[in-house]
Amino acid sequence: MKAKILALLIVLTLVLTACGSKGESAAPEGTIVLRFWVHTNNAFIAGYEAAIAAYEAEHPNVDIQLENFDYELYLQTLQTAMPAGEEADILQLFGTWTSQYYERLTPVPAEVMTVEQAQQTFYAAPIGGFIVDGVLYGMPQEFNMEYGGVLVNKTLYEAAGLTYPPQWRTMDDVIADAQALTQVDETGMMSVAGFHFACADPTAFSFLAGIKQRGGDYWNADHTAFTFNTPEARAQLQFMVDMVNAGVVDPVVFNDSTNFVIDAFFQGKVGIGYIGSWAIALGQTNYPDFADEWDYFYLPPIQGDPVFVADSGWGLTVSPNSQHQDIAWDFVRFVTANPEIAAQWNIASGTIPAMPAVAESPEIAAAMPWVPKALAILPYGEYLGNMPDRDLVVYEIIYPHVLNALQGVETVDQALQAIDTEANSTFR
Amino acid sequence: MAANTLSTPLAQPRKPFGWSRFLGRFLAYFILTLGLSFTLLPFVMMILSSFKTNLEVLRVPPTFWPENFTLENYLKIFNDPQLPLLRFYGNSAFVAVFNVTSTLFTSSLIGYMFAKFEFPGKKILFGWFLTMMMIPTQITMIPSYLILAKLGLINSLWGLVIFSAVDAFGIFMMRQFCETLPNELFDAARIDGAGEWQIYWRIVLPQLGAPLATLGILGFMFNWNAYLWPMIVLQKIEVRTLPIILTWFNSTHTGQGALVMAATVLIIMPILFVFLFFQRWIVQGFTMTGFK
Amino acid sequence: MVRTRNRNDRRRSGLVISKRRFVASVTIPLLLYESLGIFVLGWAFVLMFFDYSPGRLGGPILGLGGSNPFVGLRNFVEMFSGDSVQATLFRTSLRNTIIFAVAVLPLNLAITLPLAWLLESIGNRFKSLYRTIYFLPVLTSSVGVALIWMSMYDPQAGWINAIIRAFGGTPVAWLSDPRAGFANVSIAMWAVIIAYLWQDYGYNMVIFIAALQGVPHELREAALIDGANSWQAFTRITLPLIRPTMLFVCVMTMLSSFQVFDVIQVMTNGGPNNQTQVLMLDIYKSAFRYQNMGWAAAESFVLFLVVMGVTLFQMRVLRTDWEY
Repeated sequence: MKAKILALLIVLTLVLTACGSKGESAAPEGTIVLRFWVHTNNAFIAGYEAAIAAYEAEHPNVDIQLENFDYELYLQTLQTAMPAGEEADILQLFGTWTSQYYERLTPVPAEVMTVEQAQQTFYAAPIGGFIVDGVLYGMPQEFNMEYGGVLVNKTLYEAAGLTYPPQWRTMDDVIADAQALTQVDETGMMSVAGFHFACADPTAFSFLAGIKQRGGDYWNADHTAFTFNTPEARAQLQFMVDMVNAGVVDPVVFNDSTNFVIDAFFQGKVGIGYIGSWAIALGQTNYPDFADEWDYFYLPPIQGDPVFVADSGWGLTVSPNSQHQDIAWDFVRFVTANPEIAAQWNIASGTIPAMPAVAESPEIAAAMPWVPKALAILPYGEYLGNMPDRDLVVYEIIYPHVLNALQGVETVDQALQAIDTEANSTFR
Repeated sequence: MAANTLSTPLAQPRKPFGWSRFLGRFLAYFILTLGLSFTLLPFVMMILSSFKTNLEVLRVPPTFWPENFTLENYLKIFNDPQLPLLRFYGNSAFVAVFNVTSTLFTSSLIGYMFAKFEFPGKKILFGWFLTMMMIPTQITMIPSYLILAKLGLINSLWGLVIFSAVDAFGIFMMRQFCETLPNELFDAARIDGAGEWQIYWRIVLPQLGAPLATLGILGFMFNWNAYLWPMIVLQKIEVRTLPIILTWFNSTHTGQGALVMAATVLIIMPILFVFLFFQRWIVQGFTMTGFK
Repeated sequence: MVRTRNRNDRRRSGLVISKRRFVASVTIPLLLYESLGIFVLGWAFVLMFFDYSPGRLGGPILGLGGSNPFVGLRNFVEMFSGDSVQATLFRTSLRNTIIFAVAVLPLNLAITLPLAWLLESIGNRFKSLYRTIYFLPVLTSSVGVALIWMSMYDPQAGWINAIIRAFGGTPVAWLSDPRAGFANVSIAMWAVIIAYLWQDYGYNMVIFIAALQGVPHELREAALIDGANSWQAFTRITLPLIRPTMLFVCVMTMLSSFQVFDVIQVMTNGGPNNQTQVLMLDIYKSAFRYQNMGWAAAESFVLFLVVMGVTLFQMRVLRTDWEY
């Protein structure tokens, strides 16, 4: 009896497997097939699919096949595929990563774009990471601005009797609004965070921007070591801790692992949510039923000019192992440097354009009303700087220790000391 | 001491059903049922949540029964082109069936050889398998991964299969069983002119039916639920096995608790019934082998 | 006479040849296959003396050397005395792993042994139903277990906090509050320990039940007749008889909890503030998230030594027990 059922199961299995593994239909003769790897983000993918369709319409003999990987696995996929020469022809690349494995990349051919042309075409922050030792290794698609942008829930604002749209001249105005927005349930647990800034990228980048705006720097003069234990860094971290003490957010209940800012905001649990504008598209996709009214604004600087640092965000490059380098680079140029296509991609993915010419265009302003608000700030963006391991520094060193300070697990001094020591130990 | 007490006459006859005995029984059932509810409750919560709306699962305090009983979550999953569940079932099944079949074959064959044959280097080879049994997978994980990368087997289900063809533990178990088989059985067959492969196929394998079934079901369960190694090897979505698809689905649908619970139900429940069906063998396997 | 012996000899030699052929046809492919295993082990051993990342080009042999330099014992020195983030994380992970294993073992025994004993003592047709249900979580994929418990631990809408609220208590951010703790162990660690125990206790229960079934009923009855109460009968008769099983269960529980990964990776991914970062998770992150494979290989070697030490220690105890 049992043996029969087992046999039945096995047969069923094999049938299922056979059904599941039917191969993709073969391309017609003469078609050049290019594989294209990106990380999983539905809004980005929609943008790429449109760009591919446009390119294929102009070049009927080219077939570009898009494959996507989870963000966490994407770097791993690239780094293990490259030594084996298994990677796709066209690769999506996060600009700041370039310095970590430019050894396995190929420079952008001069006829596609030279370093000088690139520096003139794109904002400084997006292009900075793609240049290692004066050589250009890829082309940026977005201004990856994690600093300054916030989602604001209009419904909660009006319920709290605050002026909308918000009139912020200083950070004190933001904090005052946030205090009015915060709600705590009868057991003392925060149910609505007035100003949720306790996620990884917002904490790290508001920390770094604050250092810059206060006139300090986290790099030494020749970019060979970090300097996190400075008066400016101390003032900034203390400022962030004071915001928590003012009751605008409970970093224990609101952080990266619970109530991540996009989820919490689109569930109505956040008044002002600090997050890059890329989150807008994601939130709209994931929470189509969210009924509250909201908009996207930029925070005032701590003091002086709104100086900030940014990663070189997502961009494209071509594998040195590709059989069709010329076509692949042509496609990359088409997607990244053709203003019309670039604008379409930025609108689909909800990202800020990497080219000033595109960022200032009316179609961008029409589709993404928050971009014009950012135009005044964008020129102040500096590139983050080439780090030995950017993710390690941002996600395992800066964010955890800043969060510790916010949660009161470490003092401000302990956190700064730890960030300084650990970040410098990444230089081997 | 024991003999001494046994020899003394019984002081008093055993008490018939008394209150204390009844109370003891009641207490036993009470505790067991308490433990039972603790075991079952998370499953019940999962199933009930999967029939709620995503807004309802966010409510404080949570509702027990779904207020608006809805199949929306299940329909969403069935209609999600990014989540061809049957394909992922197929992937899991392929890996599990292939690995189980190959280890059953190699374990029985090599176990039989170790039990019934003498050959030079036998001790060394046996010692090697003994060592392999002691070495945990995390030691070999990194180089195995690098080899797969070199072979271009990352993102291939074959990558989950090639390092699992020989299982040291299975060999031990089968050797143990083969040693109990009488030599006369084989000698008689040899006199009748049977070849060695025929003896393995016609005589040894049928004798090993029960232990092979146990080993097979345990192996199937182990492969079906495996997480870390498949997660490392299978980076592309369409080749993934069920546990990794489930975490992927969770991370791409954060904040949609009911939907994630529906996916969890769909991914863990069907096979749970199959395992339950074979539960006796699995329990037997655990107690016999001590491995899971 | 002579002729028969010849024939026997011939037949025997024919047999020997076919046996040899059989052994060769099994062992030769086997040896080839196992040489892959030896290669893997050797590579694992070499890797821990290098600062190796597959993203860098490195030298000609397996990418070792060049931009993936030989560092000797530096990885190990760094692990135990360095102040880099990897070294701090490693030490935190080692400590957390030990806390986890040391907490899980007694809790597991405290749940499984009494329950198994109760279940064995009730002896009726409900028994198999009870056992089946207790066994359900063992059969469940640990990813599913983690997701179910995550939803129960949710600080706002989770059931556990709902129960606490109903009794007028203060709700807890189970998986994300680095400040809360109990008995010097963080609350998040307790949360994952509970989820892990929930999945695991059915396994030890069935083993105990099998062992208890092996205890002759007459012995216990005799003790009861002699005026011993149930507790005395349990500690004096039953417990000594199932001691080998006890020890075996201890070894297995210890080993698997030293290598815990799935439940923690899904539930907390090591957080909050690395309070649930265990060694397997740290190894995984070092090797695959940060591509620091030389370092990760060195870490796995340390984990291997720990596991080996525990096993050998327990095997010694087991062996002395068998002799007795």
